[in-house]
Amino acid sequence: MFKVAVTLVVSVGLAVCCAVIAVLIALVASSPTKGWSGRSLSLLDPTYASKYIPIIASVSEHQPPTWPSYFMDINVLAFLVPAGIIACFLPLSDASSFVVLYIATSVYFSGVMVRLMLVLAPAACITSGIALSQAFDVFTGSIKFQLTGASSNTEVDAAETSSSTAESQTDAVKTEKPEETAKNRPSRKSKKKEREHGEKPSTKAKAEKKRLLALPLESSVISLLLLVLLGAFYVVHCVWAAAEAYSAPSIVLTSRSHDGLHVFDDFREAYAWLRHNTDVDDKVASWWDYGYQTTAMANRTVIVDNNTWNNTHIATVGTAMSSPERAAWEIFHSLDVKYVLVVFGGLVGYPSDDINKFLWMVRIGGGVFPHIKEPDYLRDGQYRIDSQATPTMLNCLMYKLSYYRFVETDGKGFDRVRQTEIGKKYFKLTHFEEVR
Amino acid sequence: MVDALAIKGKRKKTTSVRLEVKPIELPDAPPIDTKYFTIYLANPLNSGESTTLEVLYVFTHFLEPFPAEIAQSESQLVFYNDTALILSPYHIKQQTTFIKTPSTKVESFIRMEPTNRVGTEIKYGPYEDRPPYSISPIHVHFENNSPFAVVEELVQEIEISHWGNIQVTEHYKLVHAGARHKGVFSRVDYQSRQSSNGASSFRYLLARLPPRVHSVYYRDEIGNISSSHLRTDSLKNGRRFIALCVLNARCFDYSVANVVSSFMIMHLHLNAAFAIIPVEAKSELEIEPRYPLFGGWKATFVIGYGLPLQDFLFESSDDKRYLNFTFGCPLIGMVVDKLTIKVVLPEGSTDPSPVVPFPVEHHLEAKYSSLDVVGRTVVVLEKKNFVPMHNSHFQVYYTFKPIFMLAEPLMLASAFFMFFVACVAYIHIDLSI
Repeated sequence: MFKVAVTLVVSVGLAVCCAVIAVLIALVASSPTKGWSGRSLSLLDPTYASKYIPIIASVSEHQPPTWPSYFMDINVLAFLVPAGIIACFLPLSDASSFVVLYIATSVYFSGVMVRLMLVLAPAACITSGIALSQAFDVFTGSIKFQLTGASSNTEVDAAETSSSTAESQTDAVKTEKPEETAKNRPSRKSKKKEREHGEKPSTKAKAEKKRLLALPLESSVISLLLLVLLGAFYVVHCVWAAAEAYSAPSIVLTSRSHDGLHVFDDFREAYAWLRHNTDVDDKVASWWDYGYQTTAMANRTVIVDNNTWNNTHIATVGTAMSSPERAAWEIFHSLDVKYVLVVFGGLVGYPSDDINKFLWMVRIGGGVFPHIKEPDYLRDGQYRIDSQATPTMLNCLMYKLSYYRFVETDGKGFDRVRQTEIGKKYFKLTHFEEVR
Repeated sequence: MVDALAIKGKRKKTTSVRLEVKPIELPDAPPIDTKYFTIYLANPLNSGESTTLEVLYVFTHFLEPFPAEIAQSESQLVFYNDTALILSPYHIKQQTTFIKTPSTKVESFIRMEPTNRVGTEIKYGPYEDRPPYSISPIHVHFENNSPFAVVEELVQEIEISHWGNIQVTEHYKLVHAGARHKGVFSRVDYQSRQSSNGASSFRYLLARLPPRVHSVYYRDEIGNISSSHLRTDSLKNGRRFIALCVLNARCFDYSVANVVSSFMIMHLHLNAAFAIIPVEAKSELEIEPRYPLFGGWKATFVIGYGLPLQDFLFESSDDKRYLNFTFGCPLIGMVVDKLTIKVVLPEGSTDPSPVVPFPVEHHLEAKYSSLDVVGRTVVVLEKKNFVPMHNSHFQVYYTFKPIFMLAEPLMLASAFFMFFVACVAYIHIDLSI
């Protein structure tokens, strides 16, 4: 009776599992990319995103990293990692081969996308830790060797140092698998005992070899000190990078002028004004970078935000920004938008403003709405806003909203970020008005 | 919407004596809704004698902006509605009214002969022999570009801690109550030609805080507002004089030589009353809201600061302690529509009783803060229509036994003690079977 019940339960479970697997396979096979999403496909083929899905290509964290960014992020580890890889081969065990595979794949993937530097970081730390500990072993072993001096002691010491280096090598390699270390240690210890009993002449030969391989005392002491200094500088650099490069709030910009620190709080000023002086139901349209900030600080509904999931919607906003005023007004009217938020950095020299992001608006909009053609905005393959700009560029909403009455600030309309004077200086807005 | 506060002074040559004023009810009032106040004279007035009185009235929300909406480059014009004769239950022998405007730009004013206008002063009168309760409405339409900053609601929380600190937190809702802003706001125009643009908008607000203030913060719901300056003055050469400018106020003083038979002179000042007050050293906080406020725009923010306890807490004669604090809004020259002051007394205080020089509503609440067992008593004082004339001291008396100071340290010490004893017991107890 019991057996019948068991077989029944097992067979039912197996049948359900097979059904679920079949459904999954059907789902995967039916999608055009076999279940891979756009972002992961761009890992395999780095050109995929820029060809088919410009919104993924537009995020700056998805770009391939530059060499200086490697040095900024992992610093000293950049040249300790190859040494660590070699050390992993020196005895090649399961653990060390895992580490080598891990570091090789993470280097490849971090080379495709900057944000995968996070994946590289633990692997780099492990391998460089291996390399450093090997180096420490060699130096401390040499110091010990030099300090003891007498030959019989050196033999025993050499045997001990050889087995201890072998042990520490295994320890260093097996940082992630302590149980295996414990298992291997007794086996290695038994091996050592066997060696001691039966292979004394070979240890003598090894001791001889060891004595030749030992470094002079002064150089090993100095090298030890230098290694410690290297570690200290690495710590200093990491603290500085975390404080300056990765903790800067992107909302409050500061600049140092001759009379102290000048704070540009324009973002929060705009959000506070929106929060207090507009109706609760008003909708704000802006580029998606400011979506979450607007929702949180201004407490108003936005059209697109940082969760860039709806490509068509973002393309609609991009199209509106790249169209002439009347077409843009119609798009915004259909979306029931009351306020349009545009960030302009040309007066103070803030480089990440909407004109610099404009090329992505054109590309993303053009990816969904074919009447936006990128060559219309390019002159000689470049986006320009000066007198050489194309008429489509000079008429589009982004240009008009950014440079409306800009010429009145300094008389010439000199854009500090693009370092040129603007092309069209005097124009009126027909469908929009400035409220803040 | 009119709430009058009257402070009377009596002038004999150059001395002025404060007279008592009380609001009373007159059941047989004329059909207009009016409030009545009784002035108690220092000495009873016999027949044939004369005294001189000076009366100060302050009205809030009295000037009506007209046109109600203005663009950025226009200046603000307001209406002032009043009567040329003061509303008085007494027979008026002779009266002259002077209206002083802040600038010479007067759009229009109703003439009631004899009327004369010289520079910034319009003179109505002298009018002779008018019966009681006679009114003759006039209005003046003039330009007034002083910022109409009104604090809609101010909640000030004063927390007393016997460990040496008073923490004050103030929540403001600020609004520009002048002519509403319509149309385009052009940043270029605002920043370049400031004299003709946004003339009635304001950017800076000045708050006067007591000296020896520390840990001042100025933030709103989004975060810290970085545009503020704190200046702490030290008492250098004796006293300093600060001009207090009264905004949104109408004050007039009239001198009565004889209530029955002599002539009266009324002086009417509009938005240009300055009182030079000698003050001790103060700290000044100049705050700038995140954006300049135009008509109809709002801003909210929180100002908080700490004060040393010995400046404000005193011991009274009957063994009670009292807090002596200034009733009011630290922002200079602000009208507050609804002012709430909460005084949080330390735990273990009993018998709270506030003493305020003018009528306020008050009730008690309880607040539970850190390390509280029974809760702290909160004395809540509420006042509507507050003007800087009300800026006077108030006291809150309470009894506090000094033994209660030990309540919190003892609580903490015993908690840790119990915890350590439990650990020791747990380690040493053998619970195996």
